[in-house]
Amino acid sequence: MNRKYAFVLLAALALMVGLAAPAAAQGKTLTVSWPQEPDSLNPMYTTMTFAGYTYQLFLAATWEFDENYELVPILVGEIPSAGNGGISEDGTTFTLKLKDGLTWSDGDPLDSADFVFTYEMYMSDKNTPLTRTPWEEFESIEAPDPTTVVIKFAEPYAPWSGQLSLRPIPEHILRPVFEADGTLDNAAWNSNPTVGSGAFILQEWDRGNFARFAPNPNFAMGAPKIETLVVTFIPDDQAYVASLEAGDSELGTFIDPRDVPRLQDAGLDVRLIPSGYNEGWFLNASPERAHPAMTDLRVRKAIALGFDRFSMVEDLLGGVLPVGHSYWEQTPYANPDLPPVPYDPEQAKALLDEAGWVDTNGNGIRDKDGVELELRFISTTRQIRQDMKALAQQQLGEIGIGISIENYESNVFFNGYAEGGPAATGQYDIATWSSSPGGFPDPDTNRFQCDQVPSDDNPVGGNWNYYCDPALDELFAKSRVTTDFDERVAIYHQIDKLIYDSYIWINTWYDADIWVVGSRVQNARLNGTTPFFDVVNWDVAG
Amino acid sequence: MATSSQAKPITLNDQTTANYSRVRRTLNRFLRHRVAVVGLVVLIAIVLFVTLGALWYSEADANYNDTKRSLLAPNAEFPLGTDTIGRNILARIIYGGQISMLIGVTAVTVSVLVGTTVGVFSGYFGGVVDSLLMRFTEAMLSIPSLLLLLVMAKFFSGRIPQQEFLGRTFSGSVIVIVVIIGLTSWMYLARIVRSAVLSIRETEYVMAAQALGATHRRIILAHILPNTLAPVIVAATLGVASAILSEAYISFLGVGVQPPTATWGNMLEGSRRYIDDAPWLWIFPGLMIVLTVMSINFVGDGLRDALDPRSDKKV
Amino acid sequence: MSRYIIRRLIQAVPLLFFISIVLFLLMQASGDPLATLGGRQPPRAEDRERLKRQMGLDQPPLVQYFIWLVGNDWMVVNDETGETGARRGVIRGDFGTSFVTRQPVIEVIWERMPNTLILMGTAEVVIIIVSLTIGVISAVRQYSLLDTVATGFSFVAYSIPVFLMGLMLMYIFAVRFRQWGLPYLPISGMFDPTVGRTFDQIARHLVLPVMTISLISIATYSRYIRSTMLEVINSDYIRTARAKGLSERRTLFVHAFKNASLPIVTLIGLDLPFLLAGAVVTETIFAWPGMGRLFIDHLTRSDYPVLMGLLMMISVAVVIFQLLTDVVYTWLDPRIRYT
Repeated sequence: MNRKYAFVLLAALALMVGLAAPAAAQGKTLTVSWPQEPDSLNPMYTTMTFAGYTYQLFLAATWEFDENYELVPILVGEIPSAGNGGISEDGTTFTLKLKDGLTWSDGDPLDSADFVFTYEMYMSDKNTPLTRTPWEEFESIEAPDPTTVVIKFAEPYAPWSGQLSLRPIPEHILRPVFEADGTLDNAAWNSNPTVGSGAFILQEWDRGNFARFAPNPNFAMGAPKIETLVVTFIPDDQAYVASLEAGDSELGTFIDPRDVPRLQDAGLDVRLIPSGYNEGWFLNASPERAHPAMTDLRVRKAIALGFDRFSMVEDLLGGVLPVGHSYWEQTPYANPDLPPVPYDPEQAKALLDEAGWVDTNGNGIRDKDGVELELRFISTTRQIRQDMKALAQQQLGEIGIGISIENYESNVFFNGYAEGGPAATGQYDIATWSSSPGGFPDPDTNRFQCDQVPSDDNPVGGNWNYYCDPALDELFAKSRVTTDFDERVAIYHQIDKLIYDSYIWINTWYDADIWVVGSRVQNARLNGTTPFFDVVNWDVAG
Repeated sequence: MATSSQAKPITLNDQTTANYSRVRRTLNRFLRHRVAVVGLVVLIAIVLFVTLGALWYSEADANYNDTKRSLLAPNAEFPLGTDTIGRNILARIIYGGQISMLIGVTAVTVSVLVGTTVGVFSGYFGGVVDSLLMRFTEAMLSIPSLLLLLVMAKFFSGRIPQQEFLGRTFSGSVIVIVVIIGLTSWMYLARIVRSAVLSIRETEYVMAAQALGATHRRIILAHILPNTLAPVIVAATLGVASAILSEAYISFLGVGVQPPTATWGNMLEGSRRYIDDAPWLWIFPGLMIVLTVMSINFVGDGLRDALDPRSDKKV
Repeated sequence: MSRYIIRRLIQAVPLLFFISIVLFLLMQASGDPLATLGGRQPPRAEDRERLKRQMGLDQPPLVQYFIWLVGNDWMVVNDETGETGARRGVIRGDFGTSFVTRQPVIEVIWERMPNTLILMGTAEVVIIIVSLTIGVISAVRQYSLLDTVATGFSFVAYSIPVFLMGLMLMYIFAVRFRQWGLPYLPISGMFDPTVGRTFDQIARHLVLPVMTISLISIATYSRYIRSTMLEVINSDYIRTARAKGLSERRTLFVHAFKNASLPIVTLIGLDLPFLLAGAVVTETIFAWPGMGRLFIDHLTRSDYPVLMGLLMMISVAVVIFQLLTDVVYTWLDPRIRYT
């Protein structure tokens, strides 16, 4: 007995000592912390936000957006335009001219063949990339010479500036793997990408703990000033904030707004960075799937007027994130003439009366033709949404709208039409989640359009409101072939107004990302999708 | 029981007297078990608290929220403070307690039904039935029940809509939790019942009944089941405590009973974030869970000693 | 003996087979691994349909189970090219690849195993040492102060859910201690990444989770040890040993203890694999990067290759520990024979 357990004890101790390999931090060190750990570091195999942030460190793009969403060339010498011949006159052909002498971190040349290889890998049926956007939209991709990539589309391609910010993967490392294994799915590089093209290269990823990066001297923009960059993974909210507060971590995001005052008191730089996301209520306007009252514009408007989003944002989100009005809040595409929907329960009651929904049986809930105005409000199980639904249940109850609350795990909630997802199949009257136009900063979306209403014939449709207004379809179609920025903005202002007036989507708060930057960090320019676009110029004070 | 007294009218009086004195002896043994009596008193106090508490606060009070008064520390108006959206924690503990207890009792009912059925069939019929059922029981025992609960909770998540019951609205997840706790906790009971049945099956009076041509159903209902009652009562009592704990575990991990229905378990969910800013969020519901589980365990221990005549030794 | 072991192992096969099919079907229906893919928005429906086909998730659940079990390297998966599958199936040691990290399941679990072993190994050692000490002393010195206190403590601790124990310890030793200016303990992770994986760091980070796990188990074990010790001490042969004039120490520690350890071995042996599962809660609260945390993380992404791998591993461990327990039993008590 005792001997047996003495052995276990010894084994455990030996294990601990054996694993004791202190992280070698050298010179100027920056510690960045994420609340989630990436699943994969190959862009093909992840859609996780924090994986995206992390691979930007070691994989360079053709160009990046800066903090004002202006384009900064990285791998290309110049941003393509009609003027320099980079964009053909009809807007269908894009010629990317790479800088001369680019190499991967191991010295192997980085050339146009890497782009063609990356395209092949995304499109090969042997690989299972999580998304093929934008690669599958290419009609062709060619490499006429080592520094030229020519991409052709069938139609004028408006979202090029966001979508053609491409990150090639190294052909010289991955082609042999693909040929040997028949797939890239299980390549060691996916979780141990020690060859890259970005400002840093990965040295070690200790799963569950940290990833450590060293400078890449071969980076297209020169070597970074920071000498060691450590990314730690702290899944616990409390410990995450504490770590930032104590200065153990010097850059972090996804902060609960309620922790902002505490971090500001600690002298940290707290920034609201747009990432295209807005929390909003989707109101289901389907005549078949929603409550019969939901097709009535007055009822939808009453729902919007009957909930005090302003107090909620003030009290539950510490007033850090504002109530907005637009699906494109705080971007040029939002119509500047529209105010957030106010809180006006009296007007809401008047609208419901006018629509014929009155409480005839005295049970506190309005009814009409024997149908009670009892609506289904669904969301994921996230705490803030549960709180919001409890508030809405009470406030809408006060104006005579009964609310029944349903919570789903997010991997059930976001199921598609074919899988019977509650939102996609319209099994709700009100649903709330945080959404963004897919290719932010590009405004295009697959929501709100008639041809995107899901059905058995079109299970991939993204219009989970089941709302159809042909005028909106027309405007969206027009915006897709308009390459002129100002014209596109004008079209979006009309789209925004139509959505606003239809009360199918109500902005509850502008869901910007909250970033915290430590006081030692210098020159940290950030944006919400590619925070490390300028990491090469970051520095830390002694 | 009714069938049993009708079946043997001649022995009715004897049995009743025998039962009566047995009950008295049992009661006396239970009352001698001091800790169990204390447990019973505390348990009754808790039950009274969560039922009579409804006279002070209505269910609407328990769900009433006002973000202007969120996270208030315990004070005169809110003796146990308020939660993140300004709900009265005392009122929620009262209504949450009702649900937690309801879940405990109904889940055990499910588990007793399943466990007894499996145990009786297995023990009474033996042979292939026995080995099949016991292999199945063994399989269920080989999977850690918490992991099984988590997987099953996800399986049923969102499938059952809100329910009206006794004039109150419950989240559909209450039913889900009851069923899955019941379905993952019957195995020990089945084994206890099986071994009890095995020993009773060989007794003379069961053999006599068989020889007289009594049906299986009659023998099981009239002779076997009543004799397995004692171990079942003990196991069921202790089962209520563990069902309350199970509910707390899965609610704490976020897949249990869904708001707005409060339970002691889901009041604790998310409280880790406020561990230093608002300890009242987790201290009070936590305390209620511990008190309830502890008192039920005491009562269960007392019952075991009282119902088992061989147990003369002190605990 | 070896015939008995072999027979038990053969009997375990249908059991494990049955467990696996139940779990697999349950898991299949309990969430879609393609619903979020870990992103902030659901994937585009076109990509989802493609992935479903490529990953074989469009197959009926029983077919998927069959492939999981025996692989698909012998069947044609692409009619056009006549290509066969690449999976070898669980019975040939291939647990598939994680939907989340695309690593082989074995590798995903293997990476986390040392962390859980450190946590559980330390906890188990603490549990055994402390509960043996308390159990034996309170049996030998029945109704002493220590016995009374231990009895009271065990009744309370037994009723505390693990997560509440974790929260309380955290509140006292991390939050309050810091406020009082005392040296306080870290509450999350395995080590401070800026310091590194040093012995000192891991030891500090171990304290609270180990306390959380062991306090409750100590409560159960020490009661159990106490009652079995009491039974043995009062038995005839110990009285004989005393009467023969053996020293009290020798009597207690050689004769009484050896016989009392029989039920203790059973309890510990049967509990060990379940302790692994109990780590789910503790690892979640203390953000310990072990297998329990792995289970929860991958449960939220419905990564059932990994979940199945973990559950099957635990089930196999249960079977093996049951067998081991029986074997140790015969070693401790020669009266027991298995044939």
